[in-house]
Amino acid sequence: MSADSHALAPADHSPISGLAHDIRGGISNPILGMLLFIASEIMFFAGLFAAYFSTRANFVDANGVKEWPPSEFADILNPFSLILVATVILILSSVTLQMALWAIRRDDRTGFLRNMAFTFILGITFLLLQAYDYSLLFQEGLTMGSGPFGTTYFTLTGFHGAHVFGGVIMLGVVLYRGMSGQFSSRHHDAVEAASLYWHFVDVVWIVLFTILYFL
Amino acid sequence: MATHALRPAAPTYSRGRLYEWLTTTDHKKIGIMYVINSFVFFLIGGILALVVRTELAQPGLQFLSDESVYNQIFTMHATLMIFMFVIPMLAGLGNYAVPLMIGAPDMAFPRINALSLWMLPLAGILLVASFFTGGSAAAGWTSYPPLSLDGPLKSPGTGQDLWIVGLILIGTSSILGGINFLVTIFKMRAPGMTLFRMPIMVWTVLVTSVLVVMATPVITSALVMLFIDRNYGGRFFDPFGGGSAVLYQNIFWFYSHPAVYVMILPAMGVISEVLPVFSRKPLFGFKAFIFATAGIGALGFSVWAHHMFTTGSVFLPFFSLMTFLIAVPTGVKMFNWVFTLFRGQLTFSTPLIFAIGFLTMFLIGGINGAFSASVPVDFALHDTYWVVAHIHYVLFGGSVFGIFAGLYYWFPKMSGRMLDEGLGKIQFVLMFIGFNLTFFPMQMLGLAGMPRRIADYAADAGWNDWNMAATIGGFLIAASILPFIWNVFVSLRNGKIAGDDPWEGNTLEWATSSPPPPYNFDHLPEIRSERPVFDARHGRGAH
Amino acid sequence: MSPNPRKRPAPEALIAGLVVVILAALVIAVFLTGWGSSLYPPDAVTQQGRDVRGLYDIVFAFGLAIFILVEGLIVWSVLRYRRRPTDSDLPTQTHGNNIAEVIWTVIPTAIVLFLFVISWQTLNKVDAVSARPDIRIHAIAGQFQWQFEYLDQDGKKVATQLTPAYDTATGAGGMAVPVGRSVQVTLDSPDVIHAFYVPRFLFKRDVVPGQTNTFEFTVDASEAGQVFRGQCAELCGTGHRLMLFSVIALSPTAYDAWLNALIEKSNATPAPLPSGTVLNVTAEGIKFDTTTLDVPADSPFAIAFTNKDPAGVTHDIDIRDSNGTVVANEDTINGGTTTNYTINPLPAGTYTFFCSIHSNMTGTLTVK
Ligand code: HEA
Ligand code: HEA
Ligand code: CUA
Ligand SMILES: [Cu+2]
Repeated sequence: MSADSHALAPADHSPISGLAHDIRGGISNPILGMLLFIASEIMFFAGLFAAYFSTRANFVDANGVKEWPPSEFADILNPFSLILVATVILILSSVTLQMALWAIRRDDRTGFLRNMAFTFILGITFLLLQAYDYSLLFQEGLTMGSGPFGTTYFTLTGFHGAHVFGGVIMLGVVLYRGMSGQFSSRHHDAVEAASLYWHFVDVVWIVLFTILYFL
Repeated sequence: MATHALRPAAPTYSRGRLYEWLTTTDHKKIGIMYVINSFVFFLIGGILALVVRTELAQPGLQFLSDESVYNQIFTMHATLMIFMFVIPMLAGLGNYAVPLMIGAPDMAFPRINALSLWMLPLAGILLVASFFTGGSAAAGWTSYPPLSLDGPLKSPGTGQDLWIVGLILIGTSSILGGINFLVTIFKMRAPGMTLFRMPIMVWTVLVTSVLVVMATPVITSALVMLFIDRNYGGRFFDPFGGGSAVLYQNIFWFYSHPAVYVMILPAMGVISEVLPVFSRKPLFGFKAFIFATAGIGALGFSVWAHHMFTTGSVFLPFFSLMTFLIAVPTGVKMFNWVFTLFRGQLTFSTPLIFAIGFLTMFLIGGINGAFSASVPVDFALHDTYWVVAHIHYVLFGGSVFGIFAGLYYWFPKMSGRMLDEGLGKIQFVLMFIGFNLTFFPMQMLGLAGMPRRIADYAADAGWNDWNMAATIGGFLIAASILPFIWNVFVSLRNGKIAGDDPWEGNTLEWATSSPPPPYNFDHLPEIRSERPVFDARHGRGAH
Repeated sequence: MSPNPRKRPAPEALIAGLVVVILAALVIAVFLTGWGSSLYPPDAVTQQGRDVRGLYDIVFAFGLAIFILVEGLIVWSVLRYRRRPTDSDLPTQTHGNNIAEVIWTVIPTAIVLFLFVISWQTLNKVDAVSARPDIRIHAIAGQFQWQFEYLDQDGKKVATQLTPAYDTATGAGGMAVPVGRSVQVTLDSPDVIHAFYVPRFLFKRDVVPGQTNTFEFTVDASEAGQVFRGQCAELCGTGHRLMLFSVIALSPTAYDAWLNALIEKSNATPAPLPSGTVLNVTAEGIKFDTTTLDVPADSPFAIAFTNKDPAGVTHDIDIRDSNGTVVANEDTINGGTTTNYTINPLPAGTYTFFCSIHSNMTGTLTVK
């Protein structure tokens, strides 16, 4: 990071500089913080994915057959089902969020609020779909306890879901603050940070979906 | 110097001092509370260690009724020492020193900083409370499954769950703290404070924070999986349910090896500040030092399996090579420190004495570690007291000596008063002798074949004398803590007034008052080198 | 390095140099006179162990040399360069020295590379396993007991040693191996991780559930008749410290006799139940199915004991009186097997029956 070039000119210096808002230009504190937070989240998911691949590589079922997903659950994991709808919805929500971000950068507050609201609703829809999908899986007898497959499936999707949930709350806060007029083209770090996080959650889902349903 | 404090336009109604401390977002107060909290857990962890030593003084189970209690005691000893003492203590010193050293008014995210702090006592309470819920975790600080899974003769109690939750909390606190440090260091340096003029302490905190941000989430994932296995019928680590016992070890050590550098790098940072100040010379090889620090951080991610040489399921030559290589950057630092003393003018104040203690003892611990890097030698030494000796030579002889150097060094800045030099020297002598009496014999015990984590041993195994020596040493260390506590209490009231710059320091914290005002500075010296206060004192020509 | 501003040789230099020389001489003397022997592992008794020991000696020599060099530099600098009251000027502000830094990067790198290469070579010898070893033993480590299955060349079990530790009084127990022959051990665990560790072998290997580890060793011919202490080295729960075993080195002929006796014992049918009181006790899930037993005083009785735990988990039933003296010490049996214990008459009183392997398995035996 070439932070050197951002070094503050003496005249700009005030004892509380940087406390409230970064005045040096370049990447702002909250956004750098969010990027680092996302880096740590990537490592968290890397741990889970490592466990998934290790478990999958070692897996043999009770009859000594090496098949993944285990034959009894093979039909459950049809990518062209509800889960595809959920995936599309999540990707769509990233698009609307990006549009909201562009809008606020242009100072277009109505566009921002409209797209923000869409994103929020799409996020909630994804969660509802996932909950419904879980209930279908439970009916089919796939639970956390049904062998390594169930464990890894629910851990990975569950933690992703928890992150979506966190993201939805974040979006809700941004939406609320947006409605009370707190953002402008010059002041919308929270929007930028929330959108970074949401895109990250989206990318995790795409990776997850590919690995679980296609690989 | 900066005696005129800049006050924020806050409401003027007065609140109690206690309330002010508990709600503060000032990095200095938060740093001090980190230090106090960590020290309390050091005492608890130390008392647990004394229980261990008392039991092991002689063969036979005399002191503890039951060896399941023994297993709980050493598990909690290590857990508290590592996660509630060394890591947060160094974070606390960093919290106090880093913004001051880079000339910043506070951390980048003061409220998140307070959150990081307050998660710690909560986690500590969860960990200690587990003793009262039918027994704490008892599977060692490493908590390898299947032993740490739920089941008869494994770990059926809630203690293990509380341990997991406590560690996840501490981990989250560390991650938030690490992000905070990184943003602070990258974004809030004073004018002129380029990266290569940052004090080494700041550099070590920077590298440490990178390690924390990249490695700690990985152990969180391992702990989460362990929790799922224990409570929701998961199968990650159950070898009889399709899981793998060694998988946990891989994930755990992927974090925990970098974690040992989290525990040593800031301590190295402390002594890299102390040695130059008290020898009146710049740090020898400043840039080399920075590259060595970064090198240790990077290599640290590729050596984790040296804890698993005997599992029969890791690729031994690779991890052996990488582990050996880590001795090189550490050696660079070692020589740089020694050559900082060389041809200096040494003033033997307590901080310098502890820093020299660090040099002499960490050297032994580091060489111990290099023995284990040799895989066949590790076949003989693994899981014996040799490893216990290594742990304590690096963690106590390194980190803890570094921590005390830092406490003696910054106490005048934190409190405005000096600690008593005489008591400090008494502490050092007692501690140094006690330390070596405790842990040097453990190398012999390990070579003679005494496994670690046993509550008792046969009387005819030939281990009696060394164990007795180690126990006596343990109590000597405890005795050395008492003068320190006394020193702090007395000096806070009656200590000599420190003044802004009692040690003739080099770095920016000595350019403000002791204790510094809120937001730290209202005037900064010009920063033209890594020793701005030195430059201001002696003029640029002296540099 | 920049020139030293002090022109006259300071008296400190002499003293400091002297102290360093004396200290270094002391350390070296310790190692030459044998006081330092406790900083070496014990003499190895296997071919592989001797390789490890040879490697250790080299690593140790380097470690010691580095220790003396660096520690000596520290002590010397500390004694030599104290600040004197007359020192008002700063010492020369040396910021570094590229040549010195290159030297102390390159030399340690060379040392560690050398150590790595010889470690790797030794590793290849120590870790080697042959396709057709002379002896095969399958060691099973369960909480908290070892058992050793002796296998024939095809890997078929011929006998099981259920008493892992050698008893000097009776001569029973222990894992016997012939000297001078290659012995291949495979390791399995039915529960948690354990580790096979014999200090005199300078070797250990984890016993990981769900994975079979293999290693091989050859005991030196000169060791025939010796017994070596072995111990579980991986924390495995409350009985971890009790997982002791012995390795008995025998001459090949003595070994054959020993193995034949073990085979005979393994094949012997359990003693028939005597007439009189017979108690049925079952162990399952590391628990007895009962915690109270009653028998008449002063007459022999028998216990028909079933171990329903998985193979690898051993149990027994021993009895101690109210003073803690063990009055009946029975053999352990493996999971999935049964046996009959015949107990000598006991005087009236309250006794404790217990599993010698699992301290949580106890009950009360009332004799009246
Ligand atoms: C502060 C913490 C800390 C630090 C800094 C280190 C530093 C090192 N450690 Fe240690 N280690 C632990 C904490 C630490 N360790 C803990 C807690 C465990 C046990 C965990 C458990 O099982 O409970 C452990 C265990 C452990 C093991 C596993 C042992 C076993 O279980 O069998 C190994 C194996 O390789 C190892 C190696 C090393 C090495 C090579 C270094 C190196 O970084 C050391 C480098 C330093 C030097 C070598 C000295 C200075 C160098 C020179 C003067 C240059 C010249 C030197 C040479 C050419 C050799 N450590
Ligand atoms: C920073 C880390 C750290 C520190 C500082 C220590 C400090 C000490 N440790 Fe520990 N230890 C570990 C980290 C640490 N340890 C780890 C990681 C393990 C491995 C655990 C495992 O296997 O899982 C371990 C294991 C370990 C063992 C091996 C247990 C076993 O394998 O069975 C032993 C045995 O002697 C031991 C002893 C000691 C002693 C005597 C001290 C002494 O230095 C303690 C000094 C004493 C005090 C600090 C007490 C001070 C208190 C007072 C003076 C009372 C005052 C009271 C009031 C004011 C109220 N430790
Ligand atoms: Cu088995 Cu320890
Ligand atoms: Cu390590």
